[in-house]
Amino acid sequence: MNDREAELIFRCQQGDHEAFKEIFNQYHQKVYRIAYGVLRQREDALDVVQEVFIKLFRSIKNFKGKSAFYTYLYRLAMNTAIDHSRKAKRAVFLSLDEEGGYQPSDRDEKKPDHIVAQREMEGKVRWAIDQLPQDQKATLIYREIEELSYQEIAGAMECSVGTVMSRLHYGRKKLQGLLKDVAKGGAIK
Amino acid sequence: MRGSCSSISQLLERYFDREAGDGERALVESHLPDCPDCREKLMLLEGLRETIKAPVDEAFKEETFPWVWEKIERKIRTERRPSWRESVRSWLDLSPLLRKKVWVPAVAAILVLFFITAQIFLKKIPFHPGASVVEYVESETHNVMVYDLEKAKATVIWLFEEPEEETFSS
Repeated sequence: MNDREAELIFRCQQGDHEAFKEIFNQYHQKVYRIAYGVLRQREDALDVVQEVFIKLFRSIKNFKGKSAFYTYLYRLAMNTAIDHSRKAKRAVFLSLDEEGGYQPSDRDEKKPDHIVAQREMEGKVRWAIDQLPQDQKATLIYREIEELSYQEIAGAMECSVGTVMSRLHYGRKKLQGLLKDVAKGGAIK
Repeated sequence: MRGSCSSISQLLERYFDREAGDGERALVESHLPDCPDCREKLMLLEGLRETIKAPVDEAFKEETFPWVWEKIERKIRTERRPSWRESVRSWLDLSPLLRKKVWVPAVAAILVLFFITAQIFLKKIPFHPGASVVEYVESETHNVMVYDLEKAKATVIWLFEEPEEETFSS
């Protein structure tokens, strides 16, 4: 954490809204990418961005600087996105076929083909990501979307680099199996 | 072809994630041109990354965020102090150990220890139930009061030499 960031955080802890806006400007894109990575839907991802920064405003006074600020914020973003995903799942977003696989929704019937195809693809990716255990899901999103190094992921998830590698390996293996037929569409060759 | 497929496949993910050292990278790169299986594995990794990442990049390009800040700002300007329940909840959200309920056995162990040590501690504190007068003897020279503890381990005999003393003591 550099001096500028430390000063911003200190001002935020005193309730300075301008400093908080600077923190927002610096990090909202990363938070959005994490949220979108988990939820695969624009509106849900934007809801999560708002929720994360409101939670951050309430909790920033508890940040003691023992870890890097971005790991603190990434953890908050990931946990909020996964909670949101769990709630959305409860609200019946996806319809599953008889074997529990992903089935596209009927609501896309009147949309242009490429949008329908894109939505179906996103629905399938979201469904596949949702099948992963929480730790594997978070590790994959940090690596594939945010391109964090193993060391940075280990810091954000408070685990060892070996654990990060193992979660990545098993997560990728499972996703490759679940998304096999997406290969026909050309994404996984 | 340098290196066996089994040893290269262990390095492949690290190579793909740009986490391999110089020597490991050189080994993988010398192996790949002659090994279609390992090239296929690498392509699968690339395909998976593309599938996960490309839609996020696409959505991100089209996004504008100023209105998001406006909504957040409106919310935090009207923010009251969080209640203790909200504080505990936000703390729980940030603590992976608590989310995993590791704290349940820890709290149970602390409670058991507390009960064990409390009993030992309580036994060590002498406890005297109130002494009670069992006998009061008046005589011409001295008045005598005999106290006895409830569990009769000791008897106290109190001799009043002067009648004034008795009045003063009570």
